[in-house]
Amino acid sequence: MKKHLKLLFVATIIIFMKGQGSSVKAQGIMGGHVTGNVQLDGQFSSRDSIIGATDVPEKMLSNVRADILYTNGNFSAGLRYEAYLNPMLGFDPSSKFKGQGIANYFVSYKTQNFTVTAGHFYEQFGNGMTLRAYEDRYLGIDNALRGVNVMYRPFRGITFKGVLGQQRYFWETRGLVRGVDGEVNLNDLITSWNESKTRLTLGGSFVSKYEDDETILSDMPGYKLQLPKNVGAASVRMDLAHGGFGLQAEYARKGQDPWLDNGYIYKPGEALWLSASYSQKGLSANIQAKRVDNMGFKSVRSVNERQMLYINYIPSITKQHTYAFLSMYPYGTQTTGEMGVQGDFIYKFKKESLLGGKYGTDIHLNASLITGLDTTLVGGKGTDGYTSSFFGTGETYYGDVSLEIAKKLSSKVKLSATYGYVLFNPVVEGHPGDIHHNHVLVADLTWKINRKNVLRFEAEWMGSDSKYSELVDDKRCGDWIMGLVEYNFTSAWFVSVSDQYAYNDGVGNYYNVSVGYTKGATRLQLGYGKQREGIICIGGVCRNVPASNGLTFSLTTSF
Amino acid sequence: MKKAILTITAMLFFGLSFAQNAKLPENISIKTLDGKTVETSVIQNDGKPIIVSFWATWCKPCNRELNAIKEVYEEWQEETGVKLVAISIDDTRSASKVKPHVDGNEWNYEVYLDQNQDFKRAMNVVNVPHTFLINGKGEIVWQHTSYVDGSEEELFELVKKLANGEEI
Repeated sequence: MKKHLKLLFVATIIIFMKGQGSSVKAQGIMGGHVTGNVQLDGQFSSRDSIIGATDVPEKMLSNVRADILYTNGNFSAGLRYEAYLNPMLGFDPSSKFKGQGIANYFVSYKTQNFTVTAGHFYEQFGNGMTLRAYEDRYLGIDNALRGVNVMYRPFRGITFKGVLGQQRYFWETRGLVRGVDGEVNLNDLITSWNESKTRLTLGGSFVSKYEDDETILSDMPGYKLQLPKNVGAASVRMDLAHGGFGLQAEYARKGQDPWLDNGYIYKPGEALWLSASYSQKGLSANIQAKRVDNMGFKSVRSVNERQMLYINYIPSITKQHTYAFLSMYPYGTQTTGEMGVQGDFIYKFKKESLLGGKYGTDIHLNASLITGLDTTLVGGKGTDGYTSSFFGTGETYYGDVSLEIAKKLSSKVKLSATYGYVLFNPVVEGHPGDIHHNHVLVADLTWKINRKNVLRFEAEWMGSDSKYSELVDDKRCGDWIMGLVEYNFTSAWFVSVSDQYAYNDGVGNYYNVSVGYTKGATRLQLGYGKQREGIICIGGVCRNVPASNGLTFSLTTSF
Repeated sequence: MKKAILTITAMLFFGLSFAQNAKLPENISIKTLDGKTVETSVIQNDGKPIIVSFWATWCKPCNRELNAIKEVYEEWQEETGVKLVAISIDDTRSASKVKPHVDGNEWNYEVYLDQNQDFKRAMNVVNVPHTFLINGKGEIVWQHTSYVDGSEEELFELVKKLANGEEI
């Protein structure tokens, strides 16, 4: 049946396109377009006991993906082919992606006030605290819903959305998710507010999942848990702006939802997120705070894969660092419970001012602190599990402070210097140990020799109180230095050489040479060297990447 | 699975058999920095060229590109009438930092949020930065991924050609 549906779908597209093709001749108007993108990643990895790379019996691993999109006016349709032969290291520890096939297909009809999509779709209600179906191709996350998605705008300023579907789970779909969302933009709705400097948007959503009963034994011998088959989550949100001021908030609650990660407890979940900001030209400040308590929301209760089948998304509020040593300990939200605050400050010293010099100086300051909740245990499986006080904080999970100063030294040389302090509790990754305290220094210098030749140098240092031990085997411990040189010839070619080396209390030497060629929207990159073990965070979500050692290649193109 | 490959080949073939410049999609929802939902049809420039640049607050090359163009943007506008539209793909983690980021960096671009990444998918953007050039008829005539210091000058050469009505 599934196969037939796919064939029918493909046939529809081809008929559409053919029809379009002949009407081109008839009317001389071309309405339909095919676009797409292809991505091919591969690695030839060999064993290395020092960095912990394992043997790859098949010698080569590859991930391939191609999206084809057809649009014709209000109509669009798409297909995605994926192949994991075999999946790259770290992408898919359970090896359930192994294979190839059509992973995603949809047809969609869109007008300004109405959209309907059937097939796979991605959607987000508000900030995603009740529902966010999304994908991140580099992290192996694809929580696409397969079903029907509708958007309707009855009046200007009012938007309703509805979803009904099952979630992608590797090559299958599982669970059942239903949801509605409403949003009112008061400036659009109320004519006299149209031009007001104060802008206000209010919204709310309700999402419910259904799952059949299963046998989960309670802590009391001989009893099984009585599981709720339907679990609902709801949220309210606001977005207020007045000139340079902005205030955003969302509060979400979830009903009784015993599942694997919360230890099958019946305590309702809740989450609160706040963001306040002020900005003007050359100056801005942003403060965020959040509290998450038992708010992980999956469409299937008992599933092991950490990233799969999440219905909602609770963002980490910590800054997404991109320098290697600053991002060595990335932080992912603990959906079972955490509290956090974060602040960002950007300032530009003007040109020709005392601290600005000839070209001006940019500073960017950031700080964050994340802790657990202050909880009191009240029972195990089948009970409420624990109680928590709203303002109480538990043990420290993560903290950072960073100051980046960027300055153009001459018309050809730009320098950026960063100091960072990172505090990390390994308990958030599920293993015990002392908190790591790290100091990081980064210098990043770009030298534009002339219009075609650009050199970039990066030097990093990290001093840590953590020490490597074979027992814990955390290869991030110790004191590190790193150097990187990158040469660019026009925007087409680049070569980079880098090395990370543990000079004290650590193990490892990660050298890498990469060559890349870019033309238009096509990019080919080859690399040789050792890949660090650890979590890589892209787009705010983190995944473990085991070490690899050898040749890697990557090709991406859009058309 | 052969079917899948055949399908894709067939689609490519049909696609290419009437290849012409795709238009910028008009009916995808994006958000302004003050929270208002609009359609991509708002990306207009009275028949003059438009640069559409996909970026994120955490993307270093994106920031280098937008900061470099900032220095010459006024000259570019005077000479060619070009407009730069910056599409942020930041998700909830950093979306509320986009306006402070834009103001703090003194960018005078038209900026929109594409939090659900519908626009990014429709434009087949794989990595950021990814930059498109749109001609006066709303057709996508050029695209490029990645940024190296100085490549904004290559971009401007193309913008000048477009403004003069030349093909690129």
